[in-house]
Amino acid sequence: MRVFYSVFMKEIITFLRSWGLVAVVLYSFTLDVYIAGSGLVITPRNVTVGYVDEGNSITAQKILAKLHPPEFQKPKRFLSQKALLDAIFDKKIMVGIIFPKDFEKKLANHDHPQIPIYLDSTAASQAYITLVYLQNILLDFSMSQKLFDLKIHKLFNQNSDSKMFISFVEMLSVITMLGIILTAIVFVKEKEDGTWDILLLTPAKSSHIIFAKAFSQVTIMLGGIIIALGFVVLEVFQAPLNGSFWAFMLLSILYLLTLAGIGLFIAAASQTIMQVAQLSMLIAMPLIFLSGAWTPIYSMPTFLQKLSLISPLRYYIEGSESIFFRGTGWEDLWGYFVGVTILGIITFWYGYKKIGKLF
Amino acid sequence: MRIGAIKAYLLKEFKELIRSRLIILIYLVPTMILLLFGYGIRLEVKHTRLVVVDEDRSTLSMKLLQNFTHSKYFQILYTTTSYQDALHKIKQAKADVILIIPADFEKNLFHTHKASLAIFIDGAFPLRAMTMQGYVEGALINAMEDFAQKYNIAMHHIAIVQRNLFNQAMRDENAIVPGLIGLVLLVAPALLAALLIVKEKEYGTIFNFYSSPLTKSEFLIAKLLPVFLLHSLNIFILFLWSTYLFVVPFRGSFWLYWLSSEIYILISLSIGLLVSIITNRQIVAVVLTLIITIIPGFLYSGILMPISSMQGESYIEAHLFPIMYYNQIAYDTFLIGQGLASQKNLLYLGILILYSIILLTLGSLLMKKGMR
Repeated sequence: MRVFYSVFMKEIITFLRSWGLVAVVLYSFTLDVYIAGSGLVITPRNVTVGYVDEGNSITAQKILAKLHPPEFQKPKRFLSQKALLDAIFDKKIMVGIIFPKDFEKKLANHDHPQIPIYLDSTAASQAYITLVYLQNILLDFSMSQKLFDLKIHKLFNQNSDSKMFISFVEMLSVITMLGIILTAIVFVKEKEDGTWDILLLTPAKSSHIIFAKAFSQVTIMLGGIIIALGFVVLEVFQAPLNGSFWAFMLLSILYLLTLAGIGLFIAAASQTIMQVAQLSMLIAMPLIFLSGAWTPIYSMPTFLQKLSLISPLRYYIEGSESIFFRGTGWEDLWGYFVGVTILGIITFWYGYKKIGKLF
Repeated sequence: MRIGAIKAYLLKEFKELIRSRLIILIYLVPTMILLLFGYGIRLEVKHTRLVVVDEDRSTLSMKLLQNFTHSKYFQILYTTTSYQDALHKIKQAKADVILIIPADFEKNLFHTHKASLAIFIDGAFPLRAMTMQGYVEGALINAMEDFAQKYNIAMHHIAIVQRNLFNQAMRDENAIVPGLIGLVLLVAPALLAALLIVKEKEYGTIFNFYSSPLTKSEFLIAKLLPVFLLHSLNIFILFLWSTYLFVVPFRGSFWLYWLSSEIYILISLSIGLLVSIITNRQIVAVVLTLIITIIPGFLYSGILMPISSMQGESYIEAHLFPIMYYNQIAYDTFLIGQGLASQKNLLYLGILILYSIILLTLGSLLMKKGMR
């Protein structure tokens, strides 16, 4: 136990003394999360609209007046259909609306006027949302009153504030990348600096050294998570914490152990820090992108859905989303705990065996 | 310029790339990024999991639900009568949307022409929630128009004749994959070019070059030509993945795509060259290159947000980075097919050429033979 403690403390102190590493970790957990949260806005904004009004109708102006910021830019008038299409082909305009000459007349005669709309659907989801928005506006003109009165409620995040969500997911990605790299580095640094042989000479048991080194990095990561949560995610972006904080911490510890296992495996396979960087990228990127962070799992192709079952990040992300936003209670979270624990035990055991062979 | 010396150095570079197995990464990483991002980032949501709380259980409510069952955007998980039960499903992350049809839905619709529906959407992921809201509204608006026509409810109906240009089926793959090629071809060559030079610096073998009669331009050609040639092959590999695996249509001229991609690779490897001048450690070079290329590459690629809807500083910043110009051409060759007939494409191709010349000259001027 004394060996464990001294190796553990040695790693923590080494970490704190290498200011470059401290700076990188602090940057990733604070500024990086902040930049991602404040920079990425994916909802349709400032959609450019162009129109041709052949009949100079009043209704057309009324309809256009409903397209306002922040969703739409002020509609631009084009003199001919061709000019409008050219602008769309040059990607200057995203939505083109054409009001035909007899539009006003037909509307007055209840004659079902038609409005051709051209959508640049190279940005598919924005085009779709824009279309629905337009349909809604036109429907107001079509009927004196709508048949259905839709009461739409977005649970957990009524205003669709994407900042807190993106900063949260970015934090989870940072945890994944750093959790793997830090653990791998504490071993490979010894290899690179030539102090590995000293490790082999010490009377301490190899298992103590491995566990102490791995746990020291888990502790550092936990510190990072608390900093990221306290300063950025909960403080700046005001993410809600609807569930239990301790459930999240426990899930994080289990997940960090899984990452440490992957880190051990990488440490066994690589000789230089450069190799660590390459290998961790190769492993972490699939983990992040196939975890359901950006695409819902059920929208993926079937074989990827099956593959995502063995991604620990899948359970971690879904679990922590549920804890933070959905406020799910312990009784419904056990699935995530079981998933992370089983994968954690397997990867840690595998990594431990791999690195143990080097002692 | 001595061809023999360059040839010898080139041979050394290729052998080193193959022996250090870096060659695997050169072809694995671009493909991996394309596949991961292509599958991993979907802005559209298919098969939204819908739970219906149908308290009305009338013919009309059944008809309404048919609008959802026949759509690729929805799957009705099940119909229940308990709101608590449905909410629990959302908390367990097993459902996304609850549609509540109140008990007097049919009666109200026939008597007063006004019925209300309540919709609850899991808003944990805001963008996904907005997209799902769009789908639900779209389906319900369609249903409304159907009802109005069927039961002769007075309305002057304005029909939208909608044409989706360039991407008729509104497939997400078409919208994302061409943009990804621009991202990959920006990141990968820059990374390799930076590594090839910084590696020598870190190992100290750069002194072989400093002390050899090899001139600066010969050294640059020997270092950058392998990157250029090896990544030229990636242009074709990425093209094949896009058209065969992701089934993205290709409507433009392949020559334009090829030519602009080669120029774009030149830009990218010049960025790598510039990075290699200011760094001495491989790990720093990797981090720096990734920061310079990935973040603007992603933000200004037009994948997440069309450039035309950017405003203020981000609109200006987008014009400073090369990816915007390349992606305009990439999207054009894949989806639009105007080619050089469009003035804008011609202009952007010119800008790319100018960009590559400036960066290459800058890089070779700043590169010094000898210790700084």
